[in-house]
Amino acid sequence: MSLLSIRNLHASIGDKEILKGVNLEINAGEVHSIMGPNGNGKSTLAGVVAGNAKYTVTQGEIIYKGRNILDMPVDQRACEGIFLGFQYPVEIPGVSITNFMRTAVNEQRKYRGLDPLSAKDFMALMEEKKKVVEMTSNLANRSVNEGFSGGEKKKNEIFQMAMLNPTLAILDETDSGLDIDALRIVATGVNKLRSADNAIVVITHYQRLLDYIVPDFVHVLYEGRIVETGPKELALKLEKEGYEWLKEAQQ
Amino acid sequence: MKARYQEAALSMRKNEVWRNVNFEAFLKEELSLPDQAMPRRYDYQCNIPNLEAYRVAFVNGYATMPTFATEAGVTCCSINEARRNHADLLRQLAAQVDTDGNPYLALNADAATDGLFLYVPDGVRLQRPVQLLSVANADTALMLHLRHVVALGRGSALTLIQCDDSHTDLAGFSNNVTLVSMDEESHLEHYKMQNLNDSTALLNQTFVTMRQGAELRSVGVTLNGGSIRNHNVVTMLGEHCNTEVHGLYLIDREQRCDNYVYVDHACPNCNSRELYKGILDDAAHGSFNGHVLVREGAVKTEAYQSNKNLLLTDKAFVQTKPFLEIYNDDVKCSHGSTIGQLDEQALFYIQQRGISLRNARTLLMYAFCDEVLQSIGIAALRERLADMVKKRLHGELTACSECALSCANTCGCTPPDFNIDPTKL
Repeated sequence: MSLLSIRNLHASIGDKEILKGVNLEINAGEVHSIMGPNGNGKSTLAGVVAGNAKYTVTQGEIIYKGRNILDMPVDQRACEGIFLGFQYPVEIPGVSITNFMRTAVNEQRKYRGLDPLSAKDFMALMEEKKKVVEMTSNLANRSVNEGFSGGEKKKNEIFQMAMLNPTLAILDETDSGLDIDALRIVATGVNKLRSADNAIVVITHYQRLLDYIVPDFVHVLYEGRIVETGPKELALKLEKEGYEWLKEAQQ
Repeated sequence: MKARYQEAALSMRKNEVWRNVNFEAFLKEELSLPDQAMPRRYDYQCNIPNLEAYRVAFVNGYATMPTFATEAGVTCCSINEARRNHADLLRQLAAQVDTDGNPYLALNADAATDGLFLYVPDGVRLQRPVQLLSVANADTALMLHLRHVVALGRGSALTLIQCDDSHTDLAGFSNNVTLVSMDEESHLEHYKMQNLNDSTALLNQTFVTMRQGAELRSVGVTLNGGSIRNHNVVTMLGEHCNTEVHGLYLIDREQRCDNYVYVDHACPNCNSRELYKGILDDAAHGSFNGHVLVREGAVKTEAYQSNKNLLLTDKAFVQTKPFLEIYNDDVKCSHGSTIGQLDEQALFYIQQRGISLRNARTLLMYAFCDEVLQSIGIAALRERLADMVKKRLHGELTACSECALSCANTCGCTPPDFNIDPTKL
């Protein structure tokens, strides 16, 4: 059974239909990359899977761990192991990353029937996971994303992913706004989190990220549908030839 | 007395500055003026951990202590004692403060039972803050009038923490006036904390007159109260003065909080900055009325006004009126106000980490308050107030462990599972 199975998914913002019948199967242990021109539904797909109320699902289903999750609230989906790395992470002044993560980790533990982590264990977990993205203590004590550079925000997303240890991580343009060093750190961090039990979906415009995070499958989302799926070499072809050939093939 | 208040309220109904203020419903039958013979019970529950302060308490309208030990030549006593022992100084200092002559000022002058007289002489920088507590703790409902006079000599510095608390559920009505005179190059940090019961009205008037190079930072935090009016008038009579007047109001049920700030830029090269933020729940009613006057000749003035509000329900109501009156070129002024709800995308972000909607809302509300709290200069006070704001925000929640904010356990409920300050590990 697939970890995630998206079937004929249609979704809109207001009256505008963005997703027009997406089909996608993802198994544990796989890395999928979703590429495609701007404004064709990549972020919408990520948002719909995570449960963003901005979008209305009009048709189709999302089966995660064997269960249709369309009616499941956002926080419950997160507790079930769905993580979204945001393209534009939100600033929360006055709330330190430490306190934010403490709340998130313990709410997720509570959902799973586990006791909250002790202060000591939590801090040990923080220390361990900070290393994944070479995060400084200074950053961890700052308010969530407040005044962070683009690189710091994306590092913080991957740090949170490490803390929460999701089963399905969807990373929405995690490479945008990163310099070369930050890209390497973030991508290396993601690779450290790969395992046979989880799946990662990487939404990106650039082959460069996929040099680090090597995908098992590359999908092209065009006009609200996945129009092409191939091995990692598809990303190279797209990098070289752009999307024109696909658009022509569609017409 | 009640009749005189009703009369004053009636006369001010069409006045732009006072029309929003409505405390007539709080002029209850059972209210009476205090008697000096009443017992004055007070056990300093309003302490701030890790803060060493000179504490001055006014209970049921009178000082609990006649004199206070202080540093280097500072005069600090009850206004009644000052009238006996420092009459000339008191008169002279009080006369230096400009007021706006509103009718409630005269009512306060007529009925004031006591108050604080605090004089910091030239060059003295008081190391410890002075904490000024006003509480009602009697068996009967009281109408209280306090009149404080605070004067800072040339180059002096003072931190004043003014707390208004209720200790009973009885109705209350207070009209307190604080007159502040700031001589050249003096520095005042004035913090006001208000935590009153729902059947108490507070009219809190502060008049500050500043001479050249004086610096004022005023931060008011309104946590609870039936009807609270913060009336702030700041007059800058010399060049290079710097004024910050900030406020935070968290009100719910049928509570009211009205904030008025009048800043008079009478001289060139002065700065003023106003930042007011409010969260209004249920059918609470708030207002912000900010008036900056830049007089002719007051060139190189910088004045900023900002008022931001979160309305949590359809019935909550806020009126915001930032207003600049400028008779000059060569000034930098701006004003802005917003009224809105919690940001949906920010809520989504927080919930996406597995945090419940309730906790996500609380976190965002706290984040909203943080900007004002950050302007509190004393760490111990800032932490204490941050804690009280957290408690206020989690409202009816009885189990702290359910809450995202991990405040220190001072409310007596179940301690939170976590209270992490990584710097202390």
